[in-house]
Amino acid sequence: MGELAIETVNLTKVFGSFKAVDGVNLRIEEGVIFGLLGPNGAGKTTTIRMILGLLKPTSGYVRVFGIDVEKRRREVLRLTGYMPQHFSLYEDLTVEENMRLYASLYGMGRAEARRRVEELLEEFMLTEYRDRLAGKLSGGTKQRLALAVALLHRPRLLIVDEPTAGVDPPLRRYFWEKFRELKEEGVTILVTTHYMDEAEHCDRLALMSRGRVVAEGSPLEIKRMAFGGDFLELEVEGDPAPVLEEVGAKVVDSEVTGDFVRVRLLVPDAADYLAPLTRELERRGIRVIRAYPVSVSLEDAFIKLTAPIEAEAVAGCRR
Amino acid sequence: MSALTALIIKDIKQLLRDPKSFFMVLMMPTMVMAMFVMGYGETRGAVPIAVVNLDGGVVSWQLIEALKNSGNFKIVRYAPTKELGVELVRRGEVYAALIIPEGFSECVLEGRSTQLVTVLDSAYATVSELVWEAVVVAVQGFLRMAAERYGTFNIDVVKETVYGPKVSSVDLFTSVVMGVLLHLVPMSLIAVSISRERERRTFEQLIMTPISSGHIVLGKLLAYSIVTVSDMLITLGIAVAILGVRVRGSLIDLTLVSLLLLICSLSLGLLISAVSRNQLQAYQTAIFLFIPSLLFSGFMTPVELLSPAARAFSKVLPLYYFLKAFKNIQLRGWGLGDVAWDCAALVVEAVAFLVAAVKVLRLRVE
Ligand SMILES: Nc1ncnc2c1ncn2[C@@H]1O[C@H](COP(=O)(O)OP(=O)(O)O)[C@@H](O)[C@H]1O
Ligand SMILES: [Mg+2]
Repeated sequence: MGELAIETVNLTKVFGSFKAVDGVNLRIEEGVIFGLLGPNGAGKTTTIRMILGLLKPTSGYVRVFGIDVEKRRREVLRLTGYMPQHFSLYEDLTVEENMRLYASLYGMGRAEARRRVEELLEEFMLTEYRDRLAGKLSGGTKQRLALAVALLHRPRLLIVDEPTAGVDPPLRRYFWEKFRELKEEGVTILVTTHYMDEAEHCDRLALMSRGRVVAEGSPLEIKRMAFGGDFLELEVEGDPAPVLEEVGAKVVDSEVTGDFVRVRLLVPDAADYLAPLTRELERRGIRVIRAYPVSVSLEDAFIKLTAPIEAEAVAGCRR
Repeated sequence: MSALTALIIKDIKQLLRDPKSFFMVLMMPTMVMAMFVMGYGETRGAVPIAVVNLDGGVVSWQLIEALKNSGNFKIVRYAPTKELGVELVRRGEVYAALIIPEGFSECVLEGRSTQLVTVLDSAYATVSELVWEAVVVAVQGFLRMAAERYGTFNIDVVKETVYGPKVSSVDLFTSVVMGVLLHLVPMSLIAVSISRERERRTFEQLIMTPISSGHIVLGKLLAYSIVTVSDMLITLGIAVAILGVRVRGSLIDLTLVSLLLLICSLSLGLLISAVSRNQLQAYQTAIFLFIPSLLFSGFMTPVELLSPAARAFSKVLPLYYFLKAFKNIQLRGWGLGDVAWDCAALVVEAVAFLVAAVKVLRLRVE
């Protein structure tokens, strides 16, 4: 491990006078599910297209498995599967014809192509649609076909652009299960989405806003980054204030009802603080009725992180 | 299956499944040829003939006057000798030559029997028949009229036939119609092919496979060649079988020259396709490029009549070489060897267009 599947350095794309992607530096390690998050127009698709050599960067460069994409694109393509944001297969060819075509384009022999196509038809529940024109498929079936084609040549890196946009919840779940399976097989996955709940499934995330990466890390790290730590909630009998001050927990909110106090705390790390804090409180004779970490959603974190720049745009993308 | 074969098969399937392309490929030549048949298939108006008056006497001129008045044909040439008259028929300039023999007037005045030789072009059976009947009727009218003045005599109308080249308006226009159908149609058809993939976004997935721009260009060239060859065969077939266009040279040579133009047109169309951003732009470019061909390739005006600058320009037009080669094979009976330079020019242009298309086709989505 530790090898970089994708490395972008100062990646920038200018359309006319508009900077769609502005100095993006990503280091995506092999074997992870990496989520690229951001509202519409944030520059996710443009970034992905530059990674795949579909767009020429205005400046900066991309390496995929250490290979320079601009100079040795074909080598990169053999290692990479891509499912674009919009359905991009031939609507006037059937499901099977599309798959066979792509098998040939990836240089598979006849027997190998047949075997692989059958395998994928089965795996993606496409067997009954094999003779149907791709243009006549429902949205979800189209998405499954697109993913199957992206995986035809068993890529080491899979790049999927909003695979679950407009897809019903069962299929969304199915897709994420697939991604996890693929990850277990050692495939690195770069996925974009603007569904925050999905982002929780990613090992690492980068939040994009207006062409820039505004935060990067694991979902947990991103939340910490957004709020400056984790939240804990305590319900105690007695005054916890002195203890809290001693351990450096910041009180965000408190509510007093007679002898009972409910406080919301901000601490650097919920797991590290919870047990020692309760122990200390008990030791000082303050009865702890309840103590638990409060989970914040990525969505809240995201809003917090991007609020100064584009509160409106984000609100628009909340669902 | 190799990547190239897969691409060819894919493009053929797409062409045949798209009603618009299907129409362009199969209906267009049939319709254009049908219009052509309606417009030029029947020779209308007076039939041009030649007269050879070897007699020159008064009576012979009276006969010619009678023939003129019959209104069925128009005397366009007077030839001094029978050989020249026959030659005019053989060259296809007239449908018939009427030869008034020496001593014609003398015979009539002396009440002896004489002849009128009608040399007909057997390449045109129906026109010949028409001319023949009209001559017989005119001569009988003349006999009745002349009998009052000169007493009874007889004129035998003798029929002779030669095989002319059958250069009719149909023949002259065949090369032009073939030119349009083998140049404009395939060129505009293929010109939109790559931009259509861009517009439908299929290009984005296609260029994620490890193929080169050469694969895409060659795949489309071959697929469209295979499909549009039917275009060519239908057009040639209608011309020869239904319109009765006569080909003096070999039909195979003619087919080969047509195939070269077809490939050249497709290559030019591919170049347009490679540089165009969208289908509309590609269409417009194809049609825009057709205008100089229309003006300077000998399509409307013979190249010899153009200004030197325009004549030099016509030398870059594929249609110029095609029309030259096609006409020479069809009308003059030249062989492939005689039109080798024109063929070579078509090949060179096709290769140049293809190489340029491969070079300018960017495997990117911008
Ligand atoms: N080819 C293009 N020409 C001009 N502007 C573009 C082009 N592609 C994308 N953009 C603009 O760049 C911005 C980022 O787009 P995109 O990368 O598609 O965002 P996302 O995928 O995050 O929704 C948008 O404002 C979009 O309008
Ligand atoms: Mg996008």
